[in-house]
Amino acid sequence: MKQFFYPSSIAVFGVADSPGNLAKNIVSNCREMEFKGEIFPVGRSRGSVNGQKIITETDALPAGIELAVILVPAAYVADTLDICGLKGISHAIISTAGFREYSGKENRFEKDVLAVVKHHGIRLIGPNCIGVICTNSGLCTPFNRLRPKRFKKGRISLITQSGGLTVQAAHLYSEEHVGFSKVISIGNKLDLNEIDYLEFLMDDQDTEQIHLHLESIENGRRLIDLARKTGKPIIFFKSNVSVTSAEIAKSHTAALVNDDRIVTGAFRQAGIVRVRSIHEMTVCAKALQLPPLSGDRLAVISLSGGFSVILGDACEEYGFKCPSLPRELLDKIESFRRGGVIRMANPMDFGDVHSIEGLAFAVEHCLKLDHIDGMVLALFYDPEIAKLLGQGNDNTQQMLDFLDVTMNAYNKPIALSFLSERRYIEEYKKNTPFPVFNDPVESVQGLRKNRNYWKRR
Amino acid sequence: MKSPKKILESVMNQKRILLSEYESKQFLSAYQIPVTREFLANTESELIHATNEIGYPLVLKGSAGDLIHKTEQNLVRVDIRNDDEARIAFKDIMAVLNGTGAAVLVQELVKGQRELVIGMTRDRQFGASVMFGLGGIFTEILEDVTFRLAPLDKRDALDMMEEIRGRRILENIRGMEAADLNQLGEILIQVGQIGIEHKIIKEIDINPVIISEGKGIAADALIVLEPALVKK
Repeated sequence: MKQFFYPSSIAVFGVADSPGNLAKNIVSNCREMEFKGEIFPVGRSRGSVNGQKIITETDALPAGIELAVILVPAAYVADTLDICGLKGISHAIISTAGFREYSGKENRFEKDVLAVVKHHGIRLIGPNCIGVICTNSGLCTPFNRLRPKRFKKGRISLITQSGGLTVQAAHLYSEEHVGFSKVISIGNKLDLNEIDYLEFLMDDQDTEQIHLHLESIENGRRLIDLARKTGKPIIFFKSNVSVTSAEIAKSHTAALVNDDRIVTGAFRQAGIVRVRSIHEMTVCAKALQLPPLSGDRLAVISLSGGFSVILGDACEEYGFKCPSLPRELLDKIESFRRGGVIRMANPMDFGDVHSIEGLAFAVEHCLKLDHIDGMVLALFYDPEIAKLLGQGNDNTQQMLDFLDVTMNAYNKPIALSFLSERRYIEEYKKNTPFPVFNDPVESVQGLRKNRNYWKRR
Repeated sequence: MKSPKKILESVMNQKRILLSEYESKQFLSAYQIPVTREFLANTESELIHATNEIGYPLVLKGSAGDLIHKTEQNLVRVDIRNDDEARIAFKDIMAVLNGTGAAVLVQELVKGQRELVIGMTRDRQFGASVMFGLGGIFTEILEDVTFRLAPLDKRDALDMMEEIRGRRILENIRGMEAADLNQLGEILIQVGQIGIEHKIIKEIDINPVIISEGKGIAADALIVLEPALVKK
């Protein structure tokens, strides 16, 4: 299986030196992502791509190629695989569409493919997929032109049934700065299926969180058993839950609907975190990078009265409690106030505390409390406020470092968000490994995911 | 009392896929699931024997091989309070049934205002799955149900009861005592166990499970067998 992600060399079948050719994008995507291995473009007509000659005679292919990426018409896929088999290539990604998703299960091309791979013992990803993006190896097999340099390396891996979602998730993981290790577009699962990929990722050293997006679950029991076994969080985006999408799914990836209520129950039982969108996958990714939330009691600090109220609502909505804090602690925190005009409670309105020391004091002493399981922080921040605090820009970094150290010292999560212009928030997300949520309510939602996950451990 | 295996065998021998309410409950009680006290009566003298055994008030229900939706078919008489009422109800029901193998199920009337549903279904992908939720007419109206895969452990069972929207029905509310969650949980676990042990059982529906003095008791039940396995 590792060869699908870390091949020492690949052959791309279906390349042509013409503007409309898609397979050549596979070559350029890999090059741009700095894939270190050799790439052999193979096609029917002479020409060159990326300054490299297209190989038209399969005799010219060297031995020892570890992976084939195939994007030739469906009718020629079996022949191409036969060539692979003769050349000793035992792993192939079939990008080509036009199999069961197009004409139902009785598809002649599919039968031919199965016969050839059985004969040669070839393992397949796909067909009807865009293969693999692996930030560790630089392998990037989607056939649409991407900008892989923008992909951020991280420790999340995604298994998805959708090619569109493959690319979009890669963008979102990168833009939200959670990063990813691998995104696998699994297509029709003619050979390998989600269980095989899941087992691989459970053992993969570059993967810490496993994300899945599936329209159909084909071996539910096995999936649940594996989820119970693994120490890695599994985040699941199960789509195709409505009658409307079941119709699309049939023509899409030959999916069938599972009773969604049973799916929900089974996931809860196995500690699988369920999400309803790709964005929510990134929220979960951040939330599960935090220490485990071991109870439902939160201390909340916001730099605005309005957001304190909003956060109070959000805590209740997501099943959290904001217990009262000891009076003597509140007295001490109140001594940091400037105007002395706001009474402290939980959630705490820090609108009158213009002091980093005050914030640090409150965070540390709240996390220390036995009856507090985690914190929510919604901080105002932009460079002007930083100046006001009189310590220049650096203190944000110091603040984040402090939060990181304190959080880990008490092993209790801090869900952080900023109330600021989007461009400043983007800056933080980019420059700090500390998970930054996009919005205070989202940070509470994230803690709920964290809690639900750890509850089952 | 017949063993669970014997009950299934006799149903299969008759090429039936549905267990009668009586058979279903016999089966469930073999798994320590509390069911209503009840007797089958084919004749009036058996009827009176049953009423003497159980005592009034009673429920009388039509019982025949493949009979479901008893209420819709006017085969249920509730709150029968004496021998005369019992005889009239018996005759009425026998007239509606009008067939061989027909009998009347004479059953204790369980007092309790709260009705739950507990069931089992065999999902194509996930296998035996246990259901818990609001029972009686609310099962269909509110669909406030939740599932877990069998086998269930105690935490699964407790989670299910915590999970439904109407979970407060289990609390001490309006002077009614709180439901015994451990006892209900035990029923859920046992239903899951039945699903694991008997592949031939396709579905179980215990609806309603009435909360009476805090304990759940199966007031109606239906067990459905997998047709493909019965026809062999």
